[in-house]
Amino acid sequence: MEQENVEDSQTEKTSASAPSRSIWSGNITIGLVNVPVKLFSMIYDKGIAFHFLHKNDGQPLKYVKMCTKDDKIVPWNEVVRGYEVAKNEYITFEQKELDAAKPESDRRIRISKFVDYFSVDPVYFDRTYALLPDKSKDAYSLLYKALEKTNKAGAARITLRTKEYPALLHTYKGALVLTTLRYAYDVVDPADFEPLHKLETPQKTELDLAVKIVTDLSGEFDIAEFEDTYMKRVQELVKQKAKGEKIHIEKPPEIEVKGLMVALRETLKQLEQK
Amino acid sequence: MTTNLKDLTKVELRNLDKVFYPKIMITKGQVVEYYIRMAPRILPLIADRPLVLTRYPDGVEGVTMSFFEKNAPEGTPNWVKTKAIYSPTSKRDVNYIVCNDLDTLIWLANLAALEIHMPFSKIDALDTPDLLFFDVDPEPPATLSDAAEAALLLKDRLLDLGLTPFVKTSGKKGLHVVIPIEPEHTFEKARAFVHQVGIELAKESDMVVSEFKDTKKPGKVFADYLQNSPLRTMVIPYSLRPTPDATVSAPLEWSEVKKGINPSDYTISSVVNRTSNPWKNIFGKRCKLEI
Repeated sequence: MEQENVEDSQTEKTSASAPSRSIWSGNITIGLVNVPVKLFSMIYDKGIAFHFLHKNDGQPLKYVKMCTKDDKIVPWNEVVRGYEVAKNEYITFEQKELDAAKPESDRRIRISKFVDYFSVDPVYFDRTYALLPDKSKDAYSLLYKALEKTNKAGAARITLRTKEYPALLHTYKGALVLTTLRYAYDVVDPADFEPLHKLETPQKTELDLAVKIVTDLSGEFDIAEFEDTYMKRVQELVKQKAKGEKIHIEKPPEIEVKGLMVALRETLKQLEQK
Repeated sequence: MTTNLKDLTKVELRNLDKVFYPKIMITKGQVVEYYIRMAPRILPLIADRPLVLTRYPDGVEGVTMSFFEKNAPEGTPNWVKTKAIYSPTSKRDVNYIVCNDLDTLIWLANLAALEIHMPFSKIDALDTPDLLFFDVDPEPPATLSDAAEAALLLKDRLLDLGLTPFVKTSGKKGLHVVIPIEPEHTFEKARAFVHQVGIELAKESDMVVSEFKDTKKPGKVFADYLQNSPLRTMVIPYSLRPTPDATVSAPLEWSEVKKGINPSDYTISSVVNRTSNPWKNIFGKRCKLEI
């Protein structure tokens, strides 16, 4: 389980800390050119981790596999995998049968062509990894500069663990990074949503007004403006509980109330200044 | 930072998710937020005046009818300021609401008083107006665009007389032109003056009519002087109107008054984002009216 340090995550740093161990090493291959790289995790799904405990004695709980016929606990060496071919009808596999079917990673990030980074819609983005130079830094920085200068990204394939992914090799803040992509069959085509078929064309005056509102509210995107309020609140509660304070459970304000409170604070401030 | 609405306002807000403007899905909560955000601009304009409300308890297309309200309703909190004024027609005192602070404005919004109206004199001098009011009201097929043309003629005439006119949309099809004055004349004299300006304007422009009997003539713009009477009212600056698009009676810069102007340019969502404050310090610019 995650050992999230409450005090540490209260500090000002807005990005996640860098991992020290790579999860994969191999070559970026462009035709006959190889760029040796190591792959590092770059994305963390931070959240609050809770352990399940027994309420009466406070001890941690564990999961066991239990046979549905006799309610007996089944040890791992008696577990096989079953693929359901019809209701309650299974074909079984041993772990080693499945292992043999897994594709072997050839330790290559194969680039077939270079594309405009913005031509790939974010709906296909899966997970981003940082690539660091392995052995030769020259080849790495050459590829980095070339991508930066042309504003292009490499359309690539990579096998990670047991799965082959389409991927995009691109630059990000001084690094080559690899974003694995989803396959077309993993993504729904919105045209298949019935209610979208008969959208009405808005009237010009309405559209002009809507465009005006959008323009008035336009600005630069800054990820730092967004914060995980649930996580923040739970961390606050953890602190209070650790100090032995009683927690007063209060219904959180609803969306409308939140907007009103922001408006009220701003207006009260303005009225005070007068 | 506080997480409680009660720490910020005395008003116990209710039914905030009720839809008040179904066409554009504006909720009561958003109406309250609108009045909160506009409060710094509204409060100086309506202070110390007996207000008249139009309440829409179920929104602008609601099952319950809207209703006018002059008398402070039952359950009015004791921190809401009121002013008792004797009504000769109903032969009793009417307790008008006076809104001099943010909480009272929020309370009014919570009462679903979408529209708020104000008279042209203050509670300490009810019989002497401190605002002259021209209701520039176009009769179809005349539009707000035509009213703008008439209002610009009116503005020039008023400037020639050494007066300082201010303008707002009515939030429907017309424009309201007001002049802040020293409260030293009777309503009768003020009304006669406004009427006279209208008469002269009608001589200058074929489009403008100055008499009530001509108001239903198609395509004409009526320079209405009749509201300049004790306890007659206009909709307050920045008041919402009960139109499907939640239009607003929006104070304008004179430069915005031009051909092609459209009431739907000024709605709850666009006005709240306006940074200009065209009626700022209007009562610091009172004119002395020689009549």
